[in-house]
Amino acid sequence: MSRKTIVAVALLLLSCTPLIAQTKKKRPLPYEYGRVVINNSSERSNMAPVVFEHWIHRRRFTCRVCHVDVGFGMRAGSTGIKAIDNERGFYCGSCHNGKLMVDGKSLFQACAPTMTAENHKRCDRCHSLGKNVQTEVDFFQFSAPLPKERFGNGIDWEKAEEMGLIKPATELEGFSGRKNSMATQKDFALNPKVEGMPDIIFSHQKHTVWNGCELCHPDIFVGVKRGNSHYSMVDISEGKSCGACHVSVAFPLTDCQRCHAKPVQP
Amino acid sequence: MFRQLAAVALVLCLCGGIPVGAVAQSNGGTQSVEPWQREFDEICGPTHDAMTFTPDELASLIARCDALLPKLQKLDDTRRKVFTNRLQMCRGLYAYVLESKKSEKK
Repeated sequence: MSRKTIVAVALLLLSCTPLIAQTKKKRPLPYEYGRVVINNSSERSNMAPVVFEHWIHRRRFTCRVCHVDVGFGMRAGSTGIKAIDNERGFYCGSCHNGKLMVDGKSLFQACAPTMTAENHKRCDRCHSLGKNVQTEVDFFQFSAPLPKERFGNGIDWEKAEEMGLIKPATELEGFSGRKNSMATQKDFALNPKVEGMPDIIFSHQKHTVWNGCELCHPDIFVGVKRGNSHYSMVDISEGKSCGACHVSVAFPLTDCQRCHAKPVQP
Repeated sequence: MFRQLAAVALVLCLCGGIPVGAVAQSNGGTQSVEPWQREFDEICGPTHDAMTFTPDELASLIARCDALLPKLQKLDDTRRKVFTNRLQMCRGLYAYVLESKKSEKK
Protein backbone atom coordinates (compact mmCIF):
# COMPACT_ATOMS: atom_id res chain seq x y z
CA MET A 1 0.00 0.00 0.00
CA SER A 2 1.44 3.32 -1.02
CA ARG A 3 1.99 6.15 1.38
CA LYS A 4 -0.57 8.24 -0.52
CA THR A 5 -3.25 5.56 -0.06
CA ILE A 6 -2.58 5.34 3.68
CA VAL A 7 -2.84 9.12 4.04
CA ALA A 8 -6.06 9.12 1.98
CA VAL A 9 -7.60 6.37 4.14
CA ALA A 10 -6.54 8.17 7.33
CA LEU A 11 -8.09 11.41 6.09
CA LEU A 12 -11.30 9.61 5.17
CA LEU A 13 -11.52 8.02 8.62
CA LEU A 14 -10.88 11.37 10.28
CA SER A 15 -13.63 13.01 8.25
CA CYS A 16 -16.07 10.30 9.38
CA THR A 17 -15.37 10.78 13.11
CA PRO A 18 -18.10 13.39 13.67
CA LEU A 19 -20.62 11.11 11.96
CA ILE A 20 -19.68 8.17 14.18
CA ALA A 21 -19.89 10.40 17.25
CA GLN A 22 -23.32 11.61 16.16
CA THR A 23 -24.77 8.14 15.68
CA LYS A 24 -23.69 6.96 19.14
CA LYS A 25 -26.36 8.18 21.51
CA LYS A 26 -25.34 9.41 24.91
CA ARG A 27 -27.27 7.68 27.67
CA PRO A 28 -29.17 10.39 29.53
CA LEU A 29 -28.50 10.97 33.20
CA PRO A 30 -31.38 10.06 35.57
CA TYR A 31 -32.61 13.66 35.81
CA GLU A 32 -32.36 14.11 32.04
CA TYR A 33 -34.39 11.03 31.16
CA GLY A 34 -37.77 12.03 29.71
CA ARG A 35 -36.59 15.56 28.94
CA VAL A 36 -38.35 17.10 25.94
CA VAL A 37 -37.19 20.22 24.16
CA ILE A 38 -40.09 22.11 22.61
CA ASN A 39 -39.27 24.64 19.94
CA ASN A 40 -42.37 25.21 17.82
CA SER A 41 -41.99 28.93 17.69
CA SER A 42 -39.76 29.86 20.64
CA GLU A 43 -36.63 30.74 18.66
CA ARG A 44 -38.68 32.51 16.02
CA SER A 45 -39.95 34.71 18.84
CA ASN A 46 -36.41 35.28 20.15
CA MET A 47 -37.04 33.02 23.13
CA ALA A 48 -35.00 30.03 24.24
CA PRO A 49 -36.71 26.68 23.52
CA VAL A 50 -38.74 25.14 26.34
CA VAL A 51 -37.16 22.36 28.38
CA PHE A 52 -39.89 20.09 29.71
CA GLU A 53 -39.02 17.58 32.43
CA HIS A 54 -41.35 14.60 32.49
CA TRP A 55 -40.26 13.52 36.00
CA ILE A 56 -41.47 16.77 37.56
CA HIS A 57 -44.91 16.35 36.03
CA ARG A 58 -45.47 12.60 36.19
CA ARG A 59 -45.17 12.57 39.97
CA ARG A 60 -48.38 14.64 40.00
CA PHE A 61 -50.44 13.40 37.05
CA THR A 62 -51.03 10.21 35.13
CA CYS A 63 -50.00 10.20 31.45
CA ARG A 64 -53.65 10.29 30.41
CA VAL A 65 -54.43 13.61 32.06
CA CYS A 66 -51.85 15.45 29.96
CA HIS A 67 -51.83 13.39 26.77
CA VAL A 68 -55.59 12.84 26.46
CA ASP A 69 -57.53 15.30 28.60
CA VAL A 70 -55.23 18.29 28.12
CA GLY A 71 -54.30 17.20 24.60
CA PHE A 72 -50.50 17.11 24.43
CA GLY A 73 -49.26 15.03 21.49
CA MET A 74 -47.00 12.06 22.01
CA ARG A 75 -44.13 13.45 19.96
CA ALA A 76 -42.19 16.63 20.66
CA GLY A 77 -43.47 19.38 18.41
CA SER A 78 -46.60 17.51 17.30
CA THR A 79 -48.96 19.61 19.43
CA GLY A 80 -47.94 22.96 17.97
CA ILE A 81 -48.29 24.80 21.28
CA LYS A 82 -48.32 28.58 21.06
CA ALA A 83 -47.99 31.13 23.84
CA ILE A 84 -51.56 32.29 23.19
CA ASP A 85 -52.83 28.72 23.82
CA ASN A 86 -51.22 28.79 27.27
CA GLU A 87 -52.52 32.28 27.97
CA ARG A 88 -56.03 31.09 27.14
CA GLY A 89 -55.70 28.37 29.76
CA PHE A 90 -54.95 25.37 27.57
CA TYR A 91 -51.93 23.04 27.29
CA CYS A 92 -49.32 24.24 29.85
CA GLY A 93 -51.81 26.93 30.89
CA SER A 94 -54.27 24.23 32.02
CA CYS A 95 -52.33 24.02 35.27
CA HIS A 96 -49.84 26.86 35.00
CA ASN A 97 -52.51 29.51 35.27
CA GLY A 98 -51.45 31.29 38.44
CA LYS A 99 -54.48 29.81 40.21
CA LEU A 100 -54.02 26.07 40.61
CA MET A 101 -52.69 25.39 44.09
CA VAL A 102 -49.96 22.80 44.62
CA ASP A 103 -48.42 22.25 48.05
CA GLY A 104 -50.07 25.42 49.28
CA LYS A 105 -48.62 27.57 46.48
CA SER A 106 -50.21 28.71 43.23
CA LEU A 107 -48.51 27.36 40.13
CA PHE A 108 -46.80 30.07 38.11
CA GLN A 109 -48.65 31.30 35.04
CA ALA A 110 -47.34 30.10 31.70
CA CYS A 111 -46.80 32.83 29.10
CA ALA A 112 -47.95 36.42 29.34
CA PRO A 113 -49.15 38.91 26.75
CA THR A 114 -46.82 41.67 27.97
CA MET A 115 -43.10 41.46 28.56
CA THR A 116 -42.05 42.99 31.87
CA ALA A 117 -38.88 42.27 33.85
CA GLU A 118 -40.93 40.14 36.23
CA ASN A 119 -42.53 38.23 33.35
CA HIS A 120 -39.13 37.69 31.78
CA LYS A 121 -37.90 35.88 34.89
CA ARG A 122 -41.00 33.70 34.75
CA CYS A 123 -40.46 32.93 31.03
CA ASP A 124 -37.01 31.55 31.87
CA ARG A 125 -38.53 28.87 34.08
CA CYS A 126 -39.68 27.01 30.96
CA HIS A 127 -37.78 28.70 28.12
CA SER A 128 -34.55 27.51 29.63
CA LEU A 129 -32.51 25.68 26.99
CA GLY A 130 -28.88 26.76 27.29
CA LYS A 131 -29.58 28.71 30.48
CA ASN A 132 -28.62 27.78 33.99
CA VAL A 133 -32.14 27.68 35.46
CA GLN A 134 -32.68 25.84 38.72
CA THR A 135 -35.94 23.92 39.09
CA GLU A 136 -37.90 24.43 42.31
CA VAL A 137 -37.81 20.68 42.90
CA ASP A 138 -34.43 19.03 43.30
CA PHE A 139 -34.35 15.70 41.46
CA PHE A 140 -32.07 13.94 43.95
CA GLN A 141 -34.02 15.16 46.96
CA PHE A 142 -37.28 14.08 45.31
CA SER A 143 -36.03 10.67 44.18
CA ALA A 144 -34.11 9.76 47.36
CA PRO A 145 -37.06 8.14 49.21
CA LEU A 146 -38.49 6.45 46.10
CA PRO A 147 -37.89 2.80 45.13
CA LYS A 148 -34.95 2.48 42.81
CA GLU A 149 -34.72 1.17 39.27
CA ARG A 150 -31.56 0.59 37.28
CA PHE A 151 -32.39 2.60 34.19
CA GLY A 152 -34.31 5.66 33.02
CA ASN A 153 -34.86 8.09 35.89
CA GLY A 154 -33.57 5.44 38.28
CA ILE A 155 -37.03 5.42 39.88
CA ASP A 156 -39.49 2.52 39.94
CA TRP A 157 -42.55 4.72 39.34
CA GLU A 158 -45.00 1.86 39.44
CA LYS A 159 -43.76 0.67 42.81
CA ALA A 160 -43.62 4.24 44.09
CA GLU A 161 -47.33 4.56 43.40
CA GLU A 162 -48.09 1.17 44.91
CA MET A 163 -46.27 2.24 48.09
CA GLY A 164 -48.24 5.49 48.17
CA LEU A 165 -45.11 7.61 47.80
CA ILE A 166 -46.52 9.35 44.74
CA LYS A 167 -50.19 9.86 44.00
CA PRO A 168 -50.57 10.89 40.35
CA ALA A 169 -53.96 12.51 39.80
CA THR A 170 -56.23 10.84 37.26
CA GLU A 171 -58.33 13.93 36.59
CA LEU A 172 -57.89 17.63 36.08
CA GLU A 173 -60.89 19.77 36.89
CA GLY A 174 -62.33 21.42 33.84
CA PHE A 175 -60.60 19.02 31.46
CA SER A 176 -61.37 15.48 32.51
CA GLY A 177 -64.85 14.04 32.32
CA ARG A 178 -66.14 11.83 35.09
CA LYS A 179 -65.05 8.28 34.50
CA ASN A 180 -66.26 4.95 35.73
CA SER A 181 -63.73 2.41 36.89
CA MET A 182 -62.50 0.60 33.85
CA ALA A 183 -63.03 -3.06 33.08
CA THR A 184 -59.58 -4.05 31.89
CA GLN A 185 -58.51 -6.78 29.52
CA LYS A 186 -56.57 -9.71 30.92
CA ASP A 187 -52.77 -9.87 30.80
CA PHE A 188 -51.43 -11.81 27.85
CA ALA A 189 -48.14 -13.23 26.66
CA LEU A 190 -46.34 -12.44 23.43
CA ASN A 191 -43.87 -14.99 22.12
CA PRO A 192 -40.58 -13.57 20.88
CA LYS A 193 -39.12 -14.93 17.67
CA VAL A 194 -35.65 -15.33 19.20
CA GLU A 195 -35.18 -18.76 20.74
CA GLY A 196 -34.51 -18.73 24.46
CA MET A 197 -35.80 -15.17 24.89
CA PRO A 198 -38.38 -15.07 27.70
CA ASP A 199 -41.98 -14.29 26.72
CA ILE A 200 -43.25 -10.76 27.08
CA ILE A 201 -46.02 -10.49 29.63
CA PHE A 202 -48.16 -7.55 28.69
CA SER A 203 -50.39 -6.18 31.39
CA HIS A 204 -53.35 -4.14 30.19
CA GLN A 205 -54.13 -3.26 33.78
CA LYS A 206 -50.72 -1.69 34.42
CA HIS A 207 -51.00 0.36 31.26
CA THR A 208 -54.63 1.47 31.42
CA VAL A 209 -54.35 2.74 34.97
CA TRP A 210 -52.09 5.57 33.76
CA ASN A 211 -52.99 5.77 30.08
CA GLY A 212 -56.65 4.91 29.61
CA CYS A 213 -57.50 3.34 26.24
CA GLU A 214 -57.32 6.05 23.59
CA LEU A 215 -53.74 7.01 24.30
CA CYS A 216 -52.59 3.69 22.81
CA HIS A 217 -55.47 2.63 20.54
CA PRO A 218 -55.51 3.05 17.65
CA ASP A 219 -52.71 5.59 17.12
CA ILE A 220 -49.90 3.54 18.62
CA PHE A 221 -51.34 0.02 18.47
CA VAL A 222 -53.56 -0.19 15.43
CA GLY A 223 -54.05 -3.96 15.07
CA VAL A 224 -57.40 -5.28 16.27
CA LYS A 225 -56.70 -8.99 16.21
CA ARG A 226 -54.17 -10.39 18.66
CA GLY A 227 -51.23 -12.04 16.90
CA ASN A 228 -51.70 -10.18 13.62
CA SER A 229 -49.35 -7.32 14.45
CA HIS A 230 -45.63 -7.91 14.40
CA TYR A 231 -43.26 -5.90 16.50
CA SER A 232 -39.50 -5.74 16.16
CA MET A 233 -36.93 -4.34 18.56
CA VAL A 234 -35.61 -2.17 15.73
CA ASP A 235 -39.04 -0.56 15.23
CA ILE A 236 -39.53 -0.22 18.98
CA SER A 237 -36.15 1.45 19.42
CA GLU A 238 -37.19 3.90 16.69
CA GLY A 239 -40.17 4.92 18.80
CA LYS A 240 -42.86 2.71 17.26
CA SER A 241 -45.38 0.68 19.32
CA CYS A 242 -43.96 0.16 22.86
CA GLY A 243 -41.17 2.56 21.92
CA ALA A 244 -43.60 5.49 21.88
CA CYS A 245 -43.12 5.60 25.66
CA HIS A 246 -40.44 3.05 26.49
CA VAL A 247 -37.66 4.82 24.66
CA SER A 248 -38.04 8.26 26.10
CA VAL A 249 -40.16 8.41 29.26
CA ALA A 250 -41.27 5.07 30.69
CA PHE A 251 -38.54 2.58 31.70
CA PRO A 252 -36.21 2.11 28.72
CA LEU A 253 -35.58 -0.89 26.47
CA THR A 254 -32.31 -1.66 28.25
CA ASP A 255 -34.39 -2.91 31.16
CA CYS A 256 -35.15 -6.16 29.27
CA GLN A 257 -36.61 -8.17 32.14
CA ARG A 258 -39.37 -5.68 32.85
CA CYS A 259 -41.12 -6.86 29.65
CA HIS A 260 -39.48 -10.20 28.90
CA ALA A 261 -40.74 -11.36 32.23
CA LYS A 262 -41.87 -14.94 31.75
CA PRO A 263 -39.20 -17.53 32.61
CA VAL A 264 -38.01 -19.60 29.63
CA GLN A 265 -39.76 -22.93 29.66
CA PRO A 266 -37.32 -25.87 30.04
CA MET B 1 -86.59 34.38 51.46
CA PHE B 2 -84.06 31.56 51.53
CA ARG B 3 -86.75 29.03 50.63
CA GLN B 4 -87.91 31.17 47.71
CA LEU B 5 -84.36 31.55 46.41
CA ALA B 6 -83.75 27.82 46.75
CA ALA B 7 -86.97 27.08 44.87
CA VAL B 8 -86.02 29.49 42.05
CA ALA B 9 -82.55 27.93 41.81
CA LEU B 10 -84.06 24.44 41.67
CA VAL B 11 -86.48 25.44 38.91
CA LEU B 12 -83.66 27.08 36.94
CA CYS B 13 -81.50 23.98 37.31
CA LEU B 14 -84.30 21.71 36.17
CA CYS B 15 -84.93 23.95 33.16
CA GLY B 16 -81.27 23.98 32.24
CA GLY B 17 -80.96 27.68 33.05
CA ILE B 18 -77.91 27.16 35.23
CA PRO B 19 -75.24 25.15 33.46
CA VAL B 20 -74.71 21.85 35.19
CA GLY B 21 -71.10 20.92 35.80
CA ALA B 22 -69.76 24.35 34.85
CA VAL B 23 -66.24 24.31 33.56
CA ALA B 24 -63.62 25.50 35.99
CA GLN B 25 -61.93 28.84 35.43
CA SER B 26 -58.78 27.02 34.37
CA ASN B 27 -60.47 25.79 31.22
CA GLY B 28 -59.70 28.75 29.05
CA GLY B 29 -61.68 31.05 31.30
CA THR B 30 -64.97 29.53 30.11
CA GLN B 31 -67.62 29.95 32.76
CA SER B 32 -70.51 28.01 31.26
CA VAL B 33 -70.74 24.83 29.27
CA GLU B 34 -71.55 25.51 25.65
CA PRO B 35 -73.75 23.02 23.75
CA TRP B 36 -70.83 21.71 21.68
CA GLN B 37 -68.87 21.07 24.83
CA ARG B 38 -71.72 19.26 26.52
CA GLU B 39 -71.99 17.06 23.44
CA PHE B 40 -68.21 16.56 23.45
CA ASP B 41 -68.23 15.52 27.10
CA GLU B 42 -71.10 13.12 26.51
CA ILE B 43 -69.37 11.50 23.57
CA CYS B 44 -65.78 11.39 24.80
CA GLY B 45 -66.48 11.06 28.54
CA PRO B 46 -67.19 7.32 28.51
CA THR B 47 -64.10 6.10 26.59
CA HIS B 48 -63.26 4.05 29.70
CA ASP B 49 -66.37 2.00 28.98
CA ALA B 50 -65.68 1.53 25.27
CA MET B 51 -65.25 -2.23 25.63
CA THR B 52 -68.66 -2.60 27.24
CA PHE B 53 -70.59 -0.87 24.42
CA THR B 54 -72.52 -2.83 21.83
CA PRO B 55 -71.61 -2.39 18.14
CA ASP B 56 -74.75 -0.26 17.68
CA GLU B 57 -73.81 2.01 20.56
CA LEU B 58 -70.29 2.37 19.19
CA ALA B 59 -71.59 3.16 15.71
CA SER B 60 -73.88 5.79 17.18
CA LEU B 61 -71.00 7.41 19.10
CA ILE B 62 -68.89 7.47 15.92
CA ALA B 63 -71.74 9.16 14.04
CA ARG B 64 -72.04 11.74 16.83
CA CYS B 65 -68.27 12.39 16.58
CA ASP B 66 -68.62 13.02 12.85
CA ALA B 67 -71.56 15.36 13.42
CA LEU B 68 -69.69 17.32 16.07
CA LEU B 69 -66.47 17.83 14.11
CA PRO B 70 -67.71 20.69 11.86
CA LYS B 71 -68.88 22.57 14.97
CA LEU B 72 -65.45 22.21 16.58
CA GLN B 73 -63.76 23.44 13.42
CA LYS B 74 -65.55 26.77 13.82
CA LEU B 75 -64.00 27.44 17.25
CA ASP B 76 -61.04 29.76 17.84
CA ASP B 77 -57.58 28.39 16.93
CA THR B 78 -56.73 27.08 20.37
CA ARG B 79 -59.98 25.31 21.15
CA ARG B 80 -60.22 23.96 17.60
CA LYS B 81 -56.76 22.42 17.95
CA VAL B 82 -57.40 20.99 21.41
CA PHE B 83 -60.88 19.61 20.87
CA THR B 84 -60.55 18.30 17.30
CA ASN B 85 -57.49 16.31 18.38
CA ARG B 86 -59.30 14.96 21.41
CA LEU B 87 -62.35 14.13 19.32
CA GLN B 88 -60.18 12.28 16.82
CA MET B 89 -58.70 10.24 19.65
CA CYS B 90 -62.04 9.16 21.04
CA ARG B 91 -63.53 8.56 17.59
CA GLY B 92 -60.45 6.48 16.77
CA LEU B 93 -60.92 4.41 19.90
CA TYR B 94 -64.61 3.73 19.24
CA ALA B 95 -63.85 2.74 15.64
CA TYR B 96 -61.03 0.50 16.88
CA VAL B 97 -63.24 -1.26 19.44
CA LEU B 98 -66.05 -1.63 16.90
CA GLU B 99 -63.62 -3.17 14.42
CA SER B 100 -62.24 -5.52 17.07
CA LYS B 101 -65.77 -6.61 18.06
CA LYS B 102 -66.59 -7.29 14.42
CA SER B 103 -63.42 -9.32 13.97
CA GLU B 104 -64.22 -11.35 17.11
CA LYS B 105 -67.54 -12.33 15.57
CA LYS B 106 -65.97 -13.57 12.35
